[in-house]
Amino acid sequence: MKKKVVLVGGYQKTYALAKSLRTKGYEITIINLNYQHCIEFAQIEDIHILHGDGTRPYILDDAGIYDFDLAIALTRRDDDNLVICELCKKKFNVKRTVALVNDPEKVDFFYKMGIDSVVCSITTVTNLIEQQALMDQMSSIFELNGGKVKITQLAIPKTAPVVNKKLWELNLPQEVVIGCILRGDTNIVPRGDVRIHEGDILVMIASDQQQALAVKELTGK
Amino acid sequence: MSIFNGKIDESTLIVGCGRLGASLANIFSEKEENVLIIDNSKDSFRKLSPSFTGLTIVGNAIDFNVLKEAQIDKVTTIICVTDNDSTNIMTAQIAKSMYHVENVIIRLYDPERACTYQDMGFETILPAILSTAEITKRLDKKRGIL
Repeated sequence: MKKKVVLVGGYQKTYALAKSLRTKGYEITIINLNYQHCIEFAQIEDIHILHGDGTRPYILDDAGIYDFDLAIALTRRDDDNLVICELCKKKFNVKRTVALVNDPEKVDFFYKMGIDSVVCSITTVTNLIEQQALMDQMSSIFELNGGKVKITQLAIPKTAPVVNKKLWELNLPQEVVIGCILRGDTNIVPRGDVRIHEGDILVMIASDQQQALAVKELTGK
Repeated sequence: MSIFNGKIDESTLIVGCGRLGASLANIFSEKEENVLIIDNSKDSFRKLSPSFTGLTIVGNAIDFNVLKEAQIDKVTTIICVTDNDSTNIMTAQIAKSMYHVENVIIRLYDPERACTYQDMGFETILPAILSTAEITKRLDKKRGIL
């Protein structure tokens, strides 16, 4: 059976998400307060569209979202997104709820209120920009377990002491693993006998304490 | 500087300075209780009586910084009466879950939303339900007399 997902509010993000989820085989329902936007969404094939306010239970009821697999709240207002997710979860028994928040400070609060997944567009975008802008240095990609484990990518400059060394020759700290080496267009899943080249990008999984140590070992800085 | 110097018995934070919020604020102020009122528009505070002695804060109540400025950690009661149900709900949840405010009362225009929030530890006032009850009561009374 197709997994059912409801997207509430939003415009560009909703449009892109609906298209992408549709190709992945989801059955999509969109609820949007803006009639013009609804008409544009209607250009996507095979999706259900309901024009109305998704924070109102009777609208959600009309959309028939009982026991849906996923609800994603994408309105511009943090409070509306919270209410949408809470209604979906408690009143309509939706299995998983995702909320978009604008204010990075509210992420923890949303999790505390039982939202399964909270996406802060501002932090996500600024992190991406940082990654792209600071490519020459270390950039944090992902934090796990409240920031205790970090997955970072690290470019190896010409001057790095590890250039042309094999992985097993490195003196890496205990809590650090090189998970992947990106070399040009190819990805290398590293083994001990893989040599590090200049310009390689190492994907490193490290505890937050030993990360700096590992970076020093790898880049000499 | 502490807003609540001296008597720290009861202090009330009112969110939303509409007709209801303003009239509540005026009542608390007359009773010489500590009262703060938040609204995102400065013009709304015109509804307060000239003798209002409480504090007014311009800002959005779901903004943590605004709530901190309102010393939410020190108030004993929060009344959320903005014209947006979502804002009222979210402010109440912040007050209860993050600051453990003793009394939280919110107004909800849409009674359908209320049942979702019954076990959240805050009270909901539903004007539609209250008015319905009052109107039918009065009608019954009149018809009974007739």
